[in-house]
Amino acid sequence: MEHGNLLNLLIFLPAVGAVLCLIVPGTRTVKVVATATTALVMLLSLGLFRHFAWWGRGDGWQEAVFGGTYGERLYEVTRLDWIRLDGTTIQYFVGIDGLSFPLVILTTLITFLACLASWNIESWKVGRGVRGYFALFLLLETGMIGVFCALDFFLFYVFWEVMLLPMYFLIGVWGGPRREYAAIKFFLYTLAGSVLMLVVLLAFHFYSPVRTFDLIEMAVNDRIAAVFNAETTSFLGWKFATAMFVFLFIGFAIKIPVFPFHTWLPDAHVEAPTPISMILAGILLKMGAYGLLRISYPILPAAAEHFAYALAVLGVINILYGALCAMAQTDFKRLVAYSSISHMGYVLLGIAIMTAAGLQGAMFQVIAHGISSPMCFFLVGVLYDRAHHREIDRFGGLWLSMPVYGSLATLGFFASLGLPGLCGFIGEFWVLVATFSAPFAWARPMAVLAAVGVVLTAGYILWMLQRVYLGPARPEYESFPEVTGREVFILTPMAVLAVALGILPQQTLFNFMNGTLEQICELYGDGVSMMASVAGMCLGR
Amino acid sequence: MTMFAPLAGIWMPSPQDLRLFGAELSLVAAIVALLVLSMLFGRSERLGAGVALAAAVAVIFFCRDAAGLVDTGARAALTPPGAASMLVADRFTVFFKLLLALFLATIIWLWMTGAAAGRTGGEVRPVPAGPEFFVLLLTSMLGMSLMVATPNLLVMMIAVETASLPSYMLAASDRRSRAGAEAALKYVLFGATTAAVMAYGLSLLFGLFGTLDLPAIAAAVSVKGMPALGWIAMAAFLVGVAFKISAVPLHFWCPDVFEGAPVEVATWLSVASKAAGLGLLLRIVAAFGGDVPATIALPLAWGVGLVAAATCTLGNLAALRQESVKRMLAYSSIAHAGYMMMAAAIPPAAAGDATVRPAMAAIVSYLFVYLLMNLGAFGVTAMVAWSQGSDRLAAFTGLGRRAPWLAVPMSICLFSLVGLPPLAGFAAKWWLLAALGQGADRHSWLWWLVFVAVINTAVSLYYYVRVIRQMFLADDERLERLAVPVGGLALANGCAVLLLLLGTVAFGLMRDRSLAYAACLARAAPESVVAAQDRLAWNGGPEGMVVNGADRP
Repeated sequence: MEHGNLLNLLIFLPAVGAVLCLIVPGTRTVKVVATATTALVMLLSLGLFRHFAWWGRGDGWQEAVFGGTYGERLYEVTRLDWIRLDGTTIQYFVGIDGLSFPLVILTTLITFLACLASWNIESWKVGRGVRGYFALFLLLETGMIGVFCALDFFLFYVFWEVMLLPMYFLIGVWGGPRREYAAIKFFLYTLAGSVLMLVVLLAFHFYSPVRTFDLIEMAVNDRIAAVFNAETTSFLGWKFATAMFVFLFIGFAIKIPVFPFHTWLPDAHVEAPTPISMILAGILLKMGAYGLLRISYPILPAAAEHFAYALAVLGVINILYGALCAMAQTDFKRLVAYSSISHMGYVLLGIAIMTAAGLQGAMFQVIAHGISSPMCFFLVGVLYDRAHHREIDRFGGLWLSMPVYGSLATLGFFASLGLPGLCGFIGEFWVLVATFSAPFAWARPMAVLAAVGVVLTAGYILWMLQRVYLGPARPEYESFPEVTGREVFILTPMAVLAVALGILPQQTLFNFMNGTLEQICELYGDGVSMMASVAGMCLGR
Repeated sequence: MTMFAPLAGIWMPSPQDLRLFGAELSLVAAIVALLVLSMLFGRSERLGAGVALAAAVAVIFFCRDAAGLVDTGARAALTPPGAASMLVADRFTVFFKLLLALFLATIIWLWMTGAAAGRTGGEVRPVPAGPEFFVLLLTSMLGMSLMVATPNLLVMMIAVETASLPSYMLAASDRRSRAGAEAALKYVLFGATTAAVMAYGLSLLFGLFGTLDLPAIAAAVSVKGMPALGWIAMAAFLVGVAFKISAVPLHFWCPDVFEGAPVEVATWLSVASKAAGLGLLLRIVAAFGGDVPATIALPLAWGVGLVAAATCTLGNLAALRQESVKRMLAYSSIAHAGYMMMAAAIPPAAAGDATVRPAMAAIVSYLFVYLLMNLGAFGVTAMVAWSQGSDRLAAFTGLGRRAPWLAVPMSICLFSLVGLPPLAGFAAKWWLLAALGQGADRHSWLWWLVFVAVINTAVSLYYYVRVIRQMFLADDERLERLAVPVGGLALANGCAVLLLLLGTVAFGLMRDRSLAYAACLARAAPESVVAAQDRLAWNGGPEGMVVNGADRP
């Protein structure tokens, strides 16, 4: 455990920026302040690499990343007593390990890009304050980074909720025609899930023989694990672990979103302005998966195993249902939204099978989708800014009038599709291979069904590409201006990462997170987890 | 009437005893002064406000004084020799008096803001008139202070009536308003009926136990058991308390009164009346802790829990479709009374056990936060209603643009009422749920109350956000900016800043303070039960039980 203040800076710098946004004069200055803040946060977050990358630690990096047990290798830790509660204290406890590190980087990067994507806010024709938008935007960043860094359950809950308020306003005020409905639906769904998390927060505290809110402690302490996972521990007549797992799962499933809790997502995505869609798809959805991996699975492995089948089924439903829905959409943005549901299904499936390879695949898919889906949403946004509609069937031949845009769009959608060599492929492939070799009788049929999803994905994306970008040029779109420098600047990092993750998965991602993921797997105990990781088999580690 | 024998005799409270109750005495003095001064100098509104403010300051001063005395272990009760205590002073009562005094000061502030706005803005608005308003306000406050400070059933009854009678008149203080008159009439009828039921329960209890001292009754019950008639009597007595809390099914007066009464009065009743009722309920429940067997303590707790769950659920459901913001806030106050009652449903454990204190601390902190949230929300509603002439949802349209310094604190207050972090409303709800969770160690059914509370939280979001939606998401370019009195801005933003602070950096501080205020009642209650049992033993047990000083040799 290494102490440091970098995370505090990352969490609270955006909040300071938000206050600055409220007081500086002039709309242009507000934009500059906001962009400078997000850029600064992104650059600072790169400093985290020194804990995980080989160039930061020299020969010791393998030990630093892969060594120890879960919770032993935490970096940039800050622990402060916050609230005294009988027998314990609620702490301000932040730190990162291989699980949260890629997500923090992803958050700072996507937020920075989304901030740049907000520069044309005047053209959204909502006529509302620029100031408020950027202040809320930065507040949202504080909440998001906080969620990924918090290692105290109470603090996690607080950040989780802090995120809700800005998001409600960002969708509700600056969104599309049905923004009010979409915003309140998002808010109610998420709050309904998080109040169940509040019950779990209390129950964990009062059932635990060691009064603590420390998420690491809860996962690694044998006395706590014995009580939580015992058959005899009951909560209002249910088995304790089962009840807690279900409550937590509902909270996280709403965020991921898992069928049947997904209905807020198409509405929120379609109505939200482009940068907010980028953040929703790129970061907020990931919090559900992160929550499962940080809280549910390490602390309640017995219940996780009990529900493995149910979760895998839900994952496959997500993959197939999301893909089929995407195929049926006529609205471009809605199509991308449903593709998110489909892609997050792989994440759930990878987590559900409880092997190291499954976790690796799931986490890779999380990051890969965190890069490809904001890119897709931005690509849709670029088009919407010009055409002011999103009807797929009314487009055609755009590659001819906008060659640069067309090329980038093809790259982005292929990354989403899972073309080998691009980021989407590795995650899906890893999950499918892991599911195939998972130690459950039902795993192979699941893998087969999930593999069908790959075909469906190719189907709806290729069909969409054909209708929008290929074919004869349409006269009404011939005068469309090519993508601007700003737009290319936003798309380039995501495009580069999509390629880099696809070609060098080990160097760009697996090396940073596999250590922690294997440690989480070790917590599962003797039952299912002692599987060799596919990464190990394939790459000789 | 042996009951009054000690007072008719030569006994006089000592000066130190009087210092303990300086707060009540200063209220009485202020009431008399107001009546006399307005006779001498005519009806001056400024004079009325000044005297009331002075009374609030005096109450705060005496409360701090009393807190010091209580802490040094002084005999914290007004006890005629040989008789049971009529009034007690512990940190818990000190808290309630401080809360009421603080609240009184802010109500005066709100009233002055409104009066100034009415004069300068040129728009006629119903300002409750001068001295009468303050006399009634102070009288109801006196009644509320007594409600939380007595273990004696008769004094409880008198206190409830002292609090209620002025409240009826306050509700009708806008004489031109038909809605106000209707509300006051409903309030009176409800109040009178429940008072009658309460008096009936009181008489039955006296008949059954031969005493009006609550700890003595609890002691008798723990020795002899509770007769069936005793349950009926208790329930009848609690009806009067439930009326003050506006617990379901005695909540019907609440929305009408809040909608019909002037905003100051509605604000006052929404917090003060419920606070006093809850304090009284807590004292009754705490008295039945200690050595009272579970067969009696548990059904009582279940009853309170059931009513609490019904109160917050019905309050929230009824609030969902209200178009008047004042009426919505009225239902929201019913819901919050339900949340707070849940803490009273935690069965008090054996003497010295730690579970009573968190429950009381939870109510203490919840009340304080609730005061701030409601004050802010009602205050902003008042500003909007004064300038728009309406408190309908439509009057809030575009407030985010037209008066951002009202809309932002209003949102903070409303989100805090939902209970979202990082606002104080979450802190309050957290301590409440934590108290329930702690109690659930021994009584696992309390988890059901936790569920009811959190699900209600999610439901309540919908109606609070309707106002926020109207302020920020809906707009009409034709609407002009709102002129808002500076006093109102200060009030609303002050509340919002405090809510932010209490939800973040002062989260733990509030806990420590509220635990300190909850400390003494928890200690005092078992002690007085022990004392009552001593007397019982001395009198030859519950059969020959006449717990009264005059009958002692």
